[in-house]
Order: sequence, then C-alpha cells, then structure tokens
Amino acid sequence: MALNKSMIVARTDLSMAMKVSYVKYGLIFTAAIGPIMAIGTVGLLVFTAANATDLLVIMQMVSPLMSPMLGLVAIIPASLIAANALVGEREQNTLEPLLCTPLTDRELLTGKVLSSFIPSIVLLLGSIVITEIATIAMFLIAGYPPMLFPDITGLVLLLTAGPLVILAMNSVMILISGRVSRVYEAYQVSGASVMIFMIPMLLPLVSLDSGGAIDPAAIWFSDIITILIASVLFIVTWALAFSKFNRDRMVSLV
Amino acid sequence: MDEVVISGLTKNFGDLVAVDHMELNIPGGTIFGLLGPNGAGKSTTTRLLSTLLRPTDGTAVVCEFDIIEDPVRVREITGVLPEEGNHTVYPSLTAYENLVYFGKLYSVPEEELPERIEELLTFMGLWDRKDDKAGELSTGNRQRLALCRAMLHRPRVLLLDEPTSALDPIAAKRVRDLILNLSRQYGQTFFINSHNLPEVQRVCNRIAIIDEGKILLEGNTQELREKLLAKQEFRIRIVGDIEKASSIAKSMDFVQEVKEEVDSIIVTIEDPTTNNSALMQSLLFAGIKIVEFAEEEATLEDLYLDVVKEGDV
Repeated sequence: MALNKSMIVARTDLSMAMKVSYVKYGLIFTAAIGPIMAIGTVGLLVFTAANATDLLVIMQMVSPLMSPMLGLVAIIPASLIAANALVGEREQNTLEPLLCTPLTDRELLTGKVLSSFIPSIVLLLGSIVITEIATIAMFLIAGYPPMLFPDITGLVLLLTAGPLVILAMNSVMILISGRVSRVYEAYQVSGASVMIFMIPMLLPLVSLDSGGAIDPAAIWFSDIITILIASVLFIVTWALAFSKFNRDRMVSLV
Repeated sequence: MDEVVISGLTKNFGDLVAVDHMELNIPGGTIFGLLGPNGAGKSTTTRLLSTLLRPTDGTAVVCEFDIIEDPVRVREITGVLPEEGNHTVYPSLTAYENLVYFGKLYSVPEEELPERIEELLTFMGLWDRKDDKAGELSTGNRQRLALCRAMLHRPRVLLLDEPTSALDPIAAKRVRDLILNLSRQYGQTFFINSHNLPEVQRVCNRIAIIDEGKILLEGNTQELREKLLAKQEFRIRIVGDIEKASSIAKSMDFVQEVKEEVDSIIVTIEDPTTNNSALMQSLLFAGIKIVEFAEEEATLEDLYLDVVKEGDV
C-alpha cells in the first residue's frame, strides 16, 4: 500500500473542505466547546477555592469527569467529515473518476479516514494545549502552584484512547458513507453512532466512588481498560470497513 | 494484437440483464464505437471495463490484464470519461488543481506533470481558465476538463462515455481531432460510447451496435458501409405535388419503398441502372418537374435503425 497516495486523497479532501467557510468555522466552533467548558470549570474552582488543599482534592475529582470532554468534542467533527467522505463524492458525481484511478481499496479508505482524522487530532491536540496553558496561567494568577488539567491520567487517556476512538468512529462512518445514497442519511447515522463511541471515553467515571472521592488505582485501571476497548474497537471497525468496501455496490447506488 | 478482449461478459442488476454474454475483440490502435439506444448496456459495459462494476459472469482482458484478477493494473492503463463527464470534476478545485490531483493519483512523474497539464489545457482551449474553479466553468469547458483528466496519464486504452455530448460543434471537432491524433501518434485504443451516429461515423474505424445488453452487429466501418451500399436509395427533389409523385413511384413494379419528405421523395429501386430512367420518364410525363435525381448516401443511422428495429422484433 502506498501511503503517499492516501495522503494525496486526504490533503485534497481537507483543502476542499477548508474552502467551505461553514465547515472551517464549524470545526473551530465545535472544537472550542471542550476547552471553553474545561477552562470555565477550572477558572471557577481556582478563583473560588478556600485553599490549595481543597483545590487539589476538588481538581482530582473533576479531572476524570472533565478530561474526556475534550476527546468527546473532537469525535463530533471527525464523524461529520467521515460521514461525508464517500457519499459526498457520490453526490457531487466525482466518485466514479476517483474509483477509476489506480488507488487500491486500502489506499482509498486510508485516505478518507485520514482526511477526517487529521483535523480531529489537530483539534484535540489544540484543545489540550490551550486548556493546559490556560489552567497553568489561572493557577499562577491565583497564587497556587501550577497544576495540569487534564492531569497525567487524563492526558494518557486523551492521547491514546482518544485517537483510537476517533479512528474507529471514522472507519464506521466511512463504511456507512459508502452504503447510503445521500449525505443527510449519513449525517443521521453519524449522530446515532457518535453516542455509542462516546461510551468508552466515559469509563474513567467508574474511578469515582459513591461519595465522589477519587481512587488513584481505579483511575489508571479504567484508563487501561478504555485504551484496550478503543484498540479493539479500532481493529474491528477498520477490518469491517475494509472487508465491506464494495465498489460495485457504491457505483450501482449512483 | 487485441488490446481489449471481452469474453462472455455479463452483468445483472437483480432480474435485469444489463450486459448479456458479450463477446468482443478490439485490436490495439482501434477507435471503437459502441452504439445503442438508452438503456442498451453501453455505460454498464464501460463501467465493467473500467473495473467499477464486477461482472456477474465472464470477464474481459484489457492490455493483457484481467478486469477481475488485476483491477489496479487495468485502472493504471485506462483513462475514463464517465457518463455526463462534465459533472464529474471537483467544482471547488480550479481546473489546474483538478488535473494535479488526478495526475498524482495516476503517478504521473512530478517533473512532467506541469508540462502535460499545460499541453492538454492549451489544446482544449482551457489554459486561460486554468485558475478558475471548475464549478464556475461552462458545461462544455467542464467536459473538456474531464477529457483532459482522462488523457493526462497517457493511458493505452481510453474509455469515453459520450465524449462530445456537452460540447459545441467547434469543441466537438477538437475532441474528434484529438482522438484521431492520439490514435495515429501513440496508437492508443479508444472505446467510445455514443448516441451521436455522425460522430461515430467520422471517428471510429470499428463499430458495434448493442441493444438489451447484446451485440447485434459488429464490424469495421468499411464493412458496414458496404452493407449500407447494398441498399440503394435515390432522392428525387421535385417542384409540384409530392403525393402525386409518390403514388406514381409506388405504382411501378421495380420500386420497393417510397418515403415522402417536404420537397422530395426517397425511393428504393430494384436494379437502378435499368429502372431509374423509366421512373424519371413516368414522373416527367405526369408533369412533375424534377430538380434533382441523386443517389442518397446511406448513413450509419439507417443501418443502426434497421438493426435496433430488428432486435426489437
């Protein structure tokens, strides 16, 4: 498989998507929701906490709740772009010439997955960086020692399970995109699918006991389980998308 | 050597048989025209040859590569202009960007790509519009751009579905000239679907007529012309009563068929060398002024209509 061919598809798809202003600003707006919520919550806690000890306890409780938010918000644009991947080509009648090129099924699918994965991962990383910088700045301004938010466990989750869930989501959406005849059908299905793929990202919540106290051992355990689930999801969905990719069916739908 | 060999090619969509056990051999360098009415199976055949569709039965070999076994190699050596090609360019990319994208996907060497794009766009009269978004081009210009895209990687076989359908007469002539030039210079093989009979007659040197997925007739243009010449028709342009002239012609034993037009009758005559003068005399005696008495040039359309009509029976 030639990855450079997939990158050509991904780059061109992205450049076309970014030429549409509502797509560009829509992506930025959606991605901004996560950092705004996280920074707002941290700001509220930092500037209303009685002392550093209280703040530390509260932040440890809030982190497993809020960290996945950044990942969840990055999944939404990924699902929308991926939903459009093949059915969008069909609607604008460019599917046939694209399928006539010497791209293999794997190269084409990888290109389409990358075209939605790249903006999502950029948005996810951007959200993390902005949130961390804002958190450190607020702690310093309030006179507390700096702290990471998302903390290390949250960062591990976001940087491992996050991309895997995005890739799994994209694989499913591209599978759906090749099997529906209209973009709006793909969007409808993507809305339902996002909810399912959000579930693994919410697993860190199990590390909170009934009183809301954090169990550090449980949070690492939940991270590992989440990463494993995300890995299995990615492998299964990618295998499914590849095995069900059917040029004949896609062209017959035209 | 045959560059396209179609063996028992069949494609079903549910109960509909779109292509029915097609057998065809197309030698290299041929400009092949596939004629047929709507729904005859022309576009399905092109889609099968371009590996977009998988045959239900049978197969085809394009430049020694089987469409089922080696679809990627088939796609490398074929250039395709899909049906309604003018709608198949990326509207938000410029004309130039459209070609760069496909040039890269077809692995055109990077150093050659700008030169080839300029050559094709210039030839098609689009160089001045290279920075315009494809969606802003006229239908004809988009069709030309789609043709550039099909030819960019210099494929050995070009599969063109109605290549001049959206073009004005000048652009259509350019495309016909391009096809003839490429065929002469590089020996490329063309597989052209068309409704446009005069165009096929001008460009193609081998023709097949298809209906309901079956090849009804196939041969080189010369052979088909000879078949046409066996049917001798004459146009008699007159000044006067067309109906009267028609009834006189019909009354003669050697006249097989009479068709009426606004200022002429078209007659099919048995043994015209002997009988033409007799018919002319009869018309003149009846007071009909003959302005022209000329052999009607038989066209592919006549043959096409005959063959498709027979197929319907």
